[in-house]
Amino acid sequence: MSLALIEKILTPENLEFMIKGAGYSLAIAICALFGGSVLGLLAAAAKMSHFKILRAISNIYCEIFRGTPMLLQIMLLYLAGPVLTKTFLDFVYTPNPYIIGAVAIAINSGAYETELFRSVIQAVDKGQWEASHTIGLTYFQTMRHVILPQAFRRVIPPFINEFIVLIKDSSLLSTIGAIELLRSAQIMTSNYYNFFVPYTAAAVMYLVMTVTISNVARGVERRLAESD
Amino acid sequence: MIKMIDVCKSFAKGKIKAVQHADFEVKRGEVICVIGPSGSGKSTLIRCINGLEIPDSGEVYIDGQQLHFDKLKDQIPLIMRMGFVFQHFNLFPHMTVLDNLTLGPIQAQKKDPKTAVELAKALLKRVGLEDKMESYPAQLSGGQKQRVAIARALAQEPEVLLFDEPTSALDPEMIGEVLDVMLELAKSGMTLVVVTHEMGFAREVATRVVFMDQGQILEVGTPGEVFDHPRSERLRDFLSRVIHI
Repeated sequence: MSLALIEKILTPENLEFMIKGAGYSLAIAICALFGGSVLGLLAAAAKMSHFKILRAISNIYCEIFRGTPMLLQIMLLYLAGPVLTKTFLDFVYTPNPYIIGAVAIAINSGAYETELFRSVIQAVDKGQWEASHTIGLTYFQTMRHVILPQAFRRVIPPFINEFIVLIKDSSLLSTIGAIELLRSAQIMTSNYYNFFVPYTAAAVMYLVMTVTISNVARGVERRLAESD
Repeated sequence: MIKMIDVCKSFAKGKIKAVQHADFEVKRGEVICVIGPSGSGKSTLIRCINGLEIPDSGEVYIDGQQLHFDKLKDQIPLIMRMGFVFQHFNLFPHMTVLDNLTLGPIQAQKKDPKTAVELAKALLKRVGLEDKMESYPAQLSGGQKQRVAIARALAQEPEVLLFDEPTSALDPEMIGEVLDVMLELAKSGMTLVVVTHEMGFAREVATRVVFMDQGQILEVGTPGEVFDHPRSERLRDFLSRVIHI
């Protein structure tokens, strides 16, 4: 492996191409994280509800999306979606791999975030609910002013961890044609008949993103620990 | 003021009978101390009064108004007429002392924040903690936390205060400051129901003392009657174990 080869492959244009891919990976992860937290919060609320049907729906959702491979979910949503609309609505469309991909990852992440939110909410001491009851707060007032602020502090470290997981999971979208970081590296491997340089460069870029985020997370955690 | 009729409550699918057929009445201005061995159902009894526990059967009335346990959500105004002080304080750890006191008045009673803050300050002064307004619960001692908890219960302007072993989680040197606040409340004419192991407080302050054992209310009487002339063997036995001269 010569330095000349690295220089030949990692030209400014190619680097820009990969960084753009990394940008997509990051954007997909961010969209999936927030889409997933909306789903996760709703499903966690359903899971803790008094209504059996809501609990059942939430359980089924979690079981299905945690019990099947994410890659399969992505492919189903991407490939089966247009077929379904054609069959039932007689309407054909070309799915956008970035959007469908982010949606698929969000749905999957939501299933994991459900458990995350449920566990931090239930970890808040039962006495907090009791005290809120005695001072006359409703269920929603208790959630909003007493339970969620305390749950929020505990959820930050695992939430950031989920973000890191999603950055890596976004690489699965390379299989449906989204040119994110891994796919951009793949394209270069076939252009140059070289696997080592593009894949190593992609690995370094993934690491830069994940290590940066986990360092930020550690800082946040330390700050939270101090204020306790 | 408070009337309980034939209240029963069991746990573990009926295996543990915490409260059995409790009939009891508290009149306005009374100070009731509930005593008895651990596990005798004292806490469960007091928790049934404001719906922290839902009785299996029986009725609870506050000033003649029945507390409907099946629709507790609609009973908030009734529940708020009773302040509750917990053994483990249950202050809100993420809020300052002042916010702990104003949360209920502002959210539940829809009080103007300024009025709520003024009331909270006055109450903190009453329990001797006006300088701790901006502190967080974690920065307070146990005795201070419990005094804040009492002030928080008073902030909802209740007609009766329920205490569930308010000094049991405190270091001995902090019990006095909490009992002093309770004594001041009793003198001011507030109706109090206190589950306690502080026999000295019960003897000094109570208008009536309730003795519970194995989920039953066994004796009710003035401190003189209960402490000096116990009628049942179980009360005599209990007193001989807790009162050391």
